[in-house]
Amino acid sequence: MSQNDPQWGGGRNKGNNGGPPDLEDIFRSITDKFNRLVGGKGSPSNPSSMNGNGGSTGALVIAAGLFVLWVGSGVYVVDERENAVITRFGKYTKTVENAGLNWHLPYPIESREIVNVTELRSLEVGVRGAAAAGDESTMLTGDQNIIEVQLEVQYNLNSARDFLFNNRLTDKDGRDVVKQAAETAIREVVGKNKVDYVLNEGRGKIGEDTKEMIQELLTKYQTGISVSRVNISDVQPPEQVQAAFSDAVKARQDRARLINEGTAYANDVVPKASGMAARLNEEALGYRQQVVARAEGDASRFRQIAAEYAKAPQVTRDRMYLDTMQTVYQNTTKVMVDQKANGNLLYLPLDKLMQMNAQGESPAPAPAVKAAVEAPAPQPNETPAARNDRGQRDGR
Amino acid sequence: MNRIMPLLAALFLGLFIFSTTFFTLDQRKYAVVFQFSEAVRVIKDPGFHFKIPLLQEVRYFDKRIQTIDEEAPARIQTIEKMNVKADSFIKYQIVDVEKYYKAVGVDEKKAVDRLRNTVNNMLRDEFGKRTVQDVISGQRDEVMNLVRKVADADAARIGVQVLDVRIKRVELEDSTLNSVYERMQSERKAVASQLRAEGSAAAEKIKADADKQREVILADAYNQAQQMKGEGDAKAAAIYAESYGKNPEFYAFYKSLDAYKQSFAKKSDVMVIDPSADFFKYMKNPRAGSGK
Repeated sequence: MSQNDPQWGGGRNKGNNGGPPDLEDIFRSITDKFNRLVGGKGSPSNPSSMNGNGGSTGALVIAAGLFVLWVGSGVYVVDERENAVITRFGKYTKTVENAGLNWHLPYPIESREIVNVTELRSLEVGVRGAAAAGDESTMLTGDQNIIEVQLEVQYNLNSARDFLFNNRLTDKDGRDVVKQAAETAIREVVGKNKVDYVLNEGRGKIGEDTKEMIQELLTKYQTGISVSRVNISDVQPPEQVQAAFSDAVKARQDRARLINEGTAYANDVVPKASGMAARLNEEALGYRQQVVARAEGDASRFRQIAAEYAKAPQVTRDRMYLDTMQTVYQNTTKVMVDQKANGNLLYLPLDKLMQMNAQGESPAPAPAVKAAVEAPAPQPNETPAARNDRGQRDGR
Repeated sequence: MNRIMPLLAALFLGLFIFSTTFFTLDQRKYAVVFQFSEAVRVIKDPGFHFKIPLLQEVRYFDKRIQTIDEEAPARIQTIEKMNVKADSFIKYQIVDVEKYYKAVGVDEKKAVDRLRNTVNNMLRDEFGKRTVQDVISGQRDEVMNLVRKVADADAARIGVQVLDVRIKRVELEDSTLNSVYERMQSERKAVASQLRAEGSAAAEKIKADADKQREVILADAYNQAQQMKGEGDAKAAAIYAESYGKNPEFYAFYKSLDAYKQSFAKKSDVMVIDPSADFFKYMKNPRAGSGK
């Protein structure tokens, strides 16, 4: 009996294609049809009410009031974030996306279902220690390790029609279907990767892959859901092995630390060696200059004296000899021994002499010694002789 | 009033007949019209429909995709005789209502059980041919597809299409779990010690290299320094030779005197002198020089 449908909606549909502006049209046609139906005799409704056949006037007013209420039940409001899906006798007719006041043919002809499309819904997958099925967050990686992953899926709708009609959902947000898709997707993605990748560098990539896969599944089931975001909120090795894992992380730090220490050592040693090399270089330069300068000085001195010597060799030679001997004798302790006169064994208390000289360096005896040595030639016998005597006495 | 009452009565009667004659079919459903329990018509188009009042009766079936989500994971053995817990879900949809009704009736639980059994058996078969590794990563898709295909073929007999079979979770049993944890720990230990050893090795290399560099730098520096000193010495020697060479005899004398002076410069130097030395010749005899 589907021919019935166009009969009812045919005239309206033709005029209705333009949308809201045709409301009046629809209204009029509906009124006509209704009246024809109710009136049975097909008498034009409006004029009849004007005629007012006595007691029927009140009833007509009530009927009109009811009619207005009935028509008014088709008015609905669509929020900016919502879409309204209109069904006529249960058959999908259109999705209203325009926000604001709208009207559809009243019950039982058309009905509306308003769905929040843009609202971001979110759900968590992998709540740790979930009572029902053990640890929901544990999953196996490709290298058969176990890790715990928690993720958050955010989604909204991209088709209110698909969302309403294509899947049997247990709640109005379709959490079930998203959760199933998310669980299978994350496990499949994790199962394809190795534990290190999942734990470290692969986190972002895994989020993306998972999102893609969830979307793929939801599209396949024509759910009208679009996944806007998948956050991998937590990836961890299970508690039982966490210590070992964190030790491995520590080991990575240790490796870096050791290398840094080595570098620090190198950075200390090499520049120091360069410094030392520079020092050696400078010292050598200094030595070279010093040696040459000294040589030049010495040579110059010698040349000059040699020039004078050439003029009067004998005198110069004697003078130099005596001068030198004088200086030598002045500055040293002398013991004069006449070996020819005294062939016996000679005992010299050298240590005592040394001690005396050491003391002699103190101011008091110095002048005396100096005075004594000052003129060795004029009074040669005095001091050395006395010492000699004493030495001989001691020796005996 | 007299005119209103029959009017109302007629209206209600009309509505009653209307409601028994027509029915609406929701977008989400199929309708099957039964006449004396015989399915005479299957309606797939949603909308406004007619039936013969009193004789015919309409039953509705869900047109949407439905899910069978296992509550408890199934224990399945893999080829290594390892027990795993597999949790899966099935997405299906009724496509042939007539067949479906004949096979299942109105109680969808029968259909669910049938699908579930088929899928579970298939999973068991497929897991039994594969290792845990394959089931988890390598051939997961393959297993799912195979199972879906078989389940779909089977379900077609009851007018149902299996859209998807997904393995949600594959978990190891608690007993295996512990050995896995132990293995993971040992793996980490290996990694950790390797990292540390790498660190020491690298550090040692860097240090050794630094030491080598130091030695090289210092040796080079020594080399250069010695060369420079040598240059200095050589130049000095040349200067000495050039100037002293003019009068070697006098130089010997001059240098000797200098050396005497330098050698006997301290009071602690004790000289034992023989008065017969040339130096003292005047001490003995003031006229010694003239005799000469």
